[in-house]
Amino acid sequence: MNHPLLALRDLTVRYTGRTREVAAVRGVDLTLQAGETLGLAGESGCGKSTLAMSVLRLLPASASIGGQILLDGEDVSTMKWGRLRAVRWTTASVVFQGAMHALNPVRRVRDQIAEPIVLHAPSPPAAAALRKRVDALLAQVELPAVKGDAFPHELSGGQKQRVMIAMALACDPRLVIADEPTTALDVIVQAQVLELMTRLVAEQDIGLVMISHDLAVLASTCQRLAVMYEGEIVEQGESRAVIADPRHEHTRALAAAFPTVGDPVYRYAPATSNELGLPDPPPATESPGEPLLAARDVRVTFTGRGRALTHAVAGVDLDVRAGEIVALVGQSGSGKTTLARTILGLQHLTGGRISFDGAELPTSAKGLRAYRRRVQLVLQDPTSALNPRHSVYESVAEGLRIHRVAGDEREHVAAALEAAELRPPEEFMPLLPHQLSGGQRQRVVIAGALALRPQLLVADEPVASLDASVRGEILALLLRLRARLGLAALVITHDLGLAWNIADRVAVMYQGELVEVGSVDEVLAHPHHDYTKSLLAALPTTG
Amino acid sequence: MSDIITPTEDALVEVPPPARGGGTLRYVLTKIGGGLVSLALVIVLGFLLFRVLPGDVVQSMFRGRPATPELMAEAEARLGLNKPLYEQFLDYLWRLLHGDLGESYVFNVPVTDKILERLWPTVLLVGVATLIAVGLGLWLGTRSAWRRGSRFDRISTGVALTLWSTPTFWLGMLLLAATSGLFPTAGLVYSDTPPDFLSQALDVAHHMVLPTVTLVAVIYAQYQLVMRSSLLEEMDADYLTTARAKGLRDDQVRRRHAVPNALLPTVTLVFLHLGMVIAGAVTTETVFSWPGLGLLTYDALRVRDLPLLQGTIVVLAGAVIIMNVLADVLYRVLDPRVRAS
Amino acid sequence: MTAPSPRALAWRRRGAAFAAGWRQFASQRSGLVGLGLLVVIVLLAILAPVITDQGGLDVTEATGGTMAPPDGEYPLGTDRSGRSVLLLTLWSSRVSLLVGFVATLLSIAIGTVIGILAAHYGRWVSAGLMRVTDFFLVIPSLVLAIALSTVMERGIGTIILAIGLTSWPSAARLVRAQTLTIEARPYIERSKALGGGHLHVITKHVLPAVLPLVFVNTTLAVGSAIVAESTLSFLGLGDPDPMRPSWGTMLRSAWLDSAVLAGAWWYLLPPGIAIAIVVLAFTMCGRALEAVLNPRLREG
Repeated sequence: MNHPLLALRDLTVRYTGRTREVAAVRGVDLTLQAGETLGLAGESGCGKSTLAMSVLRLLPASASIGGQILLDGEDVSTMKWGRLRAVRWTTASVVFQGAMHALNPVRRVRDQIAEPIVLHAPSPPAAAALRKRVDALLAQVELPAVKGDAFPHELSGGQKQRVMIAMALACDPRLVIADEPTTALDVIVQAQVLELMTRLVAEQDIGLVMISHDLAVLASTCQRLAVMYEGEIVEQGESRAVIADPRHEHTRALAAAFPTVGDPVYRYAPATSNELGLPDPPPATESPGEPLLAARDVRVTFTGRGRALTHAVAGVDLDVRAGEIVALVGQSGSGKTTLARTILGLQHLTGGRISFDGAELPTSAKGLRAYRRRVQLVLQDPTSALNPRHSVYESVAEGLRIHRVAGDEREHVAAALEAAELRPPEEFMPLLPHQLSGGQRQRVVIAGALALRPQLLVADEPVASLDASVRGEILALLLRLRARLGLAALVITHDLGLAWNIADRVAVMYQGELVEVGSVDEVLAHPHHDYTKSLLAALPTTG
Repeated sequence: MSDIITPTEDALVEVPPPARGGGTLRYVLTKIGGGLVSLALVIVLGFLLFRVLPGDVVQSMFRGRPATPELMAEAEARLGLNKPLYEQFLDYLWRLLHGDLGESYVFNVPVTDKILERLWPTVLLVGVATLIAVGLGLWLGTRSAWRRGSRFDRISTGVALTLWSTPTFWLGMLLLAATSGLFPTAGLVYSDTPPDFLSQALDVAHHMVLPTVTLVAVIYAQYQLVMRSSLLEEMDADYLTTARAKGLRDDQVRRRHAVPNALLPTVTLVFLHLGMVIAGAVTTETVFSWPGLGLLTYDALRVRDLPLLQGTIVVLAGAVIIMNVLADVLYRVLDPRVRAS
Repeated sequence: MTAPSPRALAWRRRGAAFAAGWRQFASQRSGLVGLGLLVVIVLLAILAPVITDQGGLDVTEATGGTMAPPDGEYPLGTDRSGRSVLLLTLWSSRVSLLVGFVATLLSIAIGTVIGILAAHYGRWVSAGLMRVTDFFLVIPSLVLAIALSTVMERGIGTIILAIGLTSWPSAARLVRAQTLTIEARPYIERSKALGGGHLHVITKHVLPAVLPLVFVNTTLAVGSAIVAESTLSFLGLGDPDPMRPSWGTMLRSAWLDSAVLAGAWWYLLPPGIAIAIVVLAFTMCGRALEAVLNPRLREG
């Protein structure tokens, strides 16, 4: 065989919309030899998923393909339907993004894994043989055979992703395309799944194209990297070389977005190209004054179905001092969001107490309202955190109106937008959220909070849903706000890199408890608790 | 404005949240409990409607007819209306527990007997019509959704909408007028049909054609529109892309993956809409003089036979409630997302 | 630089949203056809006293023959008392449309309030309200309406109440589902964190988001209410006054007068066709509106 496993020649994919035509992929050339692994990196909307789906011609009807897609030397774009169906899954298979939705919710996973085997077998295989084959596939992905009889909703995220991988390997394909296979997973599970995929692909000599927005994930699994930007490949080469010496400015932004924890270069230095630059790191002197926010033995318990009690927050002590940035790190389900909601008074305490500026957290509606002028919230996804029907002006003015803040509303709004670095404010006021970019939306949310001149900002995963290049800008803004306004922040995140980027102190949360609290430099350099250690170990390494 | 995901018809059905390991027994008991509360409400309502609401019951019985005070007093005593309200209610409950719904004012027989006699024709008509309508609706809805925007979709959706916009009884009258002489216009069987089973069955079938067609025409549209929209909701689902990627043919993707998922909300709706079917049955039976509960209701209404009307209302509403409890339980069995693991 | 006031900005935004919605609505032929039909029919109903003489409805002054087929003088023939079917159909539109609109407004109002309350206040309020809603949803509304209109004075008011009080549950469930979707959005959480109370959240965020849906549902429900009116009237529960006919009472007379057996199609067809056209027009408008609001339904 002298032809490559996959060769894209001047591939172009256009979507014909109602009003205009959009080119999602523009003139891409890519080659993958058998058994090779290639990472395809890029931000949302860069065309990487379209590219991946085009390999098996899984694009919607509105898409038109130009150029060639040579799979094992055969052009997929001109294949007859029958041939295409035969090629699908046998030559190339796909591990889809979000296994939750990619599996049929009403069929047992065993049947779903077996389906392509039966479909592509020359003669229907015997039931016993089929069962054995599926069991073997499940064993390969380290799942017990009984899990095959489960329905997708009965499996955890990691297990579902393993099922997807088992399914992808069912017909012994020579190429596997993995589209953001670990995006929704926690760090530790992500590490396990990546390890599994790397091993299987190497063992069975399968070619792998893995797509992700996370350069570190790709670098840790793939030999080669290709970076996509606005439909084009802007850079490709050996993973190590691309990471170490990124040539394209976009690659640099991507690389910087996932800082190396422990590298002093990234300490208090999120990637930003803003001319305002970064404020100096805070003086290292400990200033143990009165804490601004003090949580003591906070407990939140939920009563679930069947009267089962869930201790979402099980006795947490946490301080945030004026002008301090504290990162609360934990996986999903660790109780960190519940803790944040409790601090904001959006969730009732089951036990313990929270005091702010020396006073107990109020419980009356009126007291809470006054409290909320001083403690504000920034949510994860700015797209859904803004009412899509409200203009920027209305969104920022909402808090002012609720609290009937004295003075000229328009001036307050302008000042808040200015503080969130949306300049000039007048231009942004009449816009609706959908007319803004993701980063701008998050700035509007921050402006809405700043309008009330709070002393503490609680930010729940403030950059998790933003593209890599925007991430650094928002984090830099938080640092500048702290420097200029003395604003304290409690940043909730799953991302240790974020803590390394901006936080003074870090609190690691695990199963409702804080297992480790301390200064960022100490905790991340010399972790004591096993959980913190495993979190650090699970970070993808580029080496 | 585009942020709103408008719940379409199937939003009427709330897919219960996935319950991990929740006991089936517990679920069934909750549903039965809910059904019992509804039944109790119906029973209380049946009692109150004819005693507490404005308009004197006895007077309304005699509306349009001359009534002497003696006659009215006698009617009042016969209905037990001269006793205090709580006593009437206890009396009503006690008799209801014994299957006694009072005595028909017009037929002079126990209401229960009359209802039992008329029950089977309605079950037959509603059952057959529902089966046909469900089959037809699901099939047309599936095809429409799969070929969205095609001529088939446009025509079949248009026809469904038109039939849905039509009053049942008017459609029945039109059918009667259009097929005059081809089919019997009234009743269950001719009186001169030989008593053997085959002849009787054939005659009933002959009598049933027009009522069934009418009822089907009016109710299948709902099922079709619901199936169409719930399949359309599934059309963008990721697991369909997975299925296509596996190399399945278009019809296999539809049959094995899309339809089973879209079917679940539709099945629930079939039962939720039973009330509507009952409404259709009342008018259909009236137009075709089909001797079922619907016609009985109409007759009771016409001659102001209040005990009979109260009886039919309680029985019809009760039947629908019971069917819905059954549907909830069935849903639990059908949908693995709801079923206990 | 004189910047527009916030209020003016808000109104300009609403105007733009409305214009965009209208453009999308207008791009759907069936919606436009439905709207056109409705405008014509409503105009005819309003103008009936101007263009015709109500005296023609009086049985004692009827001049035509008994169930006479259409001719030059009576384009749609006459009924048993010799009244013009065309005149009857025209005048009937007034009662049918009135009942349709008012009963729908009643039922949507109940449904919207209950739906929003059930979604906004969780736990017991919600459980209680939904229990009641489910009860009304499940039991046949016609049966309930029959019961109601039996015990009350016959007339338009009773019919409106009977329909309005029995047909709200589906609106309640729809509004509740939509409210739940909206309330799950992070911007509600943000609003609460800003200090917004129940009233603020409901009036500033929930209601504006739910109202378009309510509007669509109203459009669709008017059709059902008109059919319900005709059914109740057909069963003999309508307004007995011959000077206030509705399409349902017309069909009842046709039925009682054995128009079917007599082959008097001119008596049978007009009211039924009128109902079908009006209901279809409302449905077409409603579905077009629905498509404007739900982009997923729009394509194709």
